[in-house]
Amino acid sequence: MVRFLLILPIVVALGGCVTPSLYQWGGYEEALYAGYKDPTKMEALRLKLEAHIAEMEKSAQKVAPGLYAELGTLYLQAGSSDKAISMYSRERDTWPESKGLMTAMIQNLERRQQARAEAAK
Amino acid sequence: MKIVSSALILAVLTGCVAQPVKQDMSAFHATAPRSILVVPTINKSLDVDAPNYVLAALPVPIANKGYYVFPVNTTKYVLEQEGFYEGERIHQMATPDLAKLFGADAVLYVSINRWDAQYAFITTVVTVEFDYRLVSKDGAEIWKESKRMQYQPQNNNSGSPIAMLVVAVVNAAVTRAAPNYMPLTRQANQEVFISGVNAIPDGPYRPASSKQ
Repeated sequence: MVRFLLILPIVVALGGCVTPSLYQWGGYEEALYAGYKDPTKMEALRLKLEAHIAEMEKSAQKVAPGLYAELGTLYLQAGSSDKAISMYSRERDTWPESKGLMTAMIQNLERRQQARAEAAK
Repeated sequence: MKIVSSALILAVLTGCVAQPVKQDMSAFHATAPRSILVVPTINKSLDVDAPNYVLAALPVPIANKGYYVFPVNTTKYVLEQEGFYEGERIHQMATPDLAKLFGADAVLYVSINRWDAQYAFITTVVTVEFDYRLVSKDGAEIWKESKRMQYQPQNNNSGSPIAMLVVAVVNAAVTRAAPNYMPLTRQANQEVFISGVNAIPDGPYRPASSKQ
């Protein structure tokens, strides 16, 4: 009975006034919060985003705004600029509004890679 | 569990109540932004962790309303690379410059006015309060809203006075150990962006069939 009373308001809330979610987020909000609370948990956010994006792509569903780019930035911070560029490109191809920022990020990373390659010659 | 269920009941009670004053949305409609840049928040509370926590809770409701929301952690990272670490400094930048840097149609500024738990005799009141401002890339304010949310564990009044006292003490102890800021913050954002009378209009990605 108690359990039922607890569930009832949830049902009412969902049916009453909550706009249905447009996207699946794969636990992004909670994992980002956890990462801000404890920076060692940013790794868990990366794993979560990787798994979620793979799942969305496998089932041909649109990935929510920003998720590719957030994963790209986590790669960048971990030093993998190739993987970051790949994610920024996917964000740009999925969401035209991100084009300016993503193109700038990609070009910046490519320039850095070229500079490093030339320095190594 | 008790806190979670109480918060839900509270959410139901306060979630759909219409507020009396309806804002003029003509400036918003004239701008019709497609993309929103959510920048790091300003903190006027005493909790140094609040700005990041609040930032994490903003993109999902705004994107679900139909807007492209720039990735908040990437935005924060880019601004830090430019030397901007503090929300206060970012909020002082000219909006057109900021919007241009990211290619955004509008910039959302959020300031945290309250984020605290006040302990009184056998009870605790948790309060969050935010100001929200949306400014177009031309620098014109197109929407604003404020929201305060409070949570106080409710004591069942069915038992004897001593039983009620015990329940109240336990509630206060649980609340004190883990103040319930995030459910309140999510609820504030839900009302401000989605269910409230002054919620922002549906964005371009919200299909017409699901418009309210």
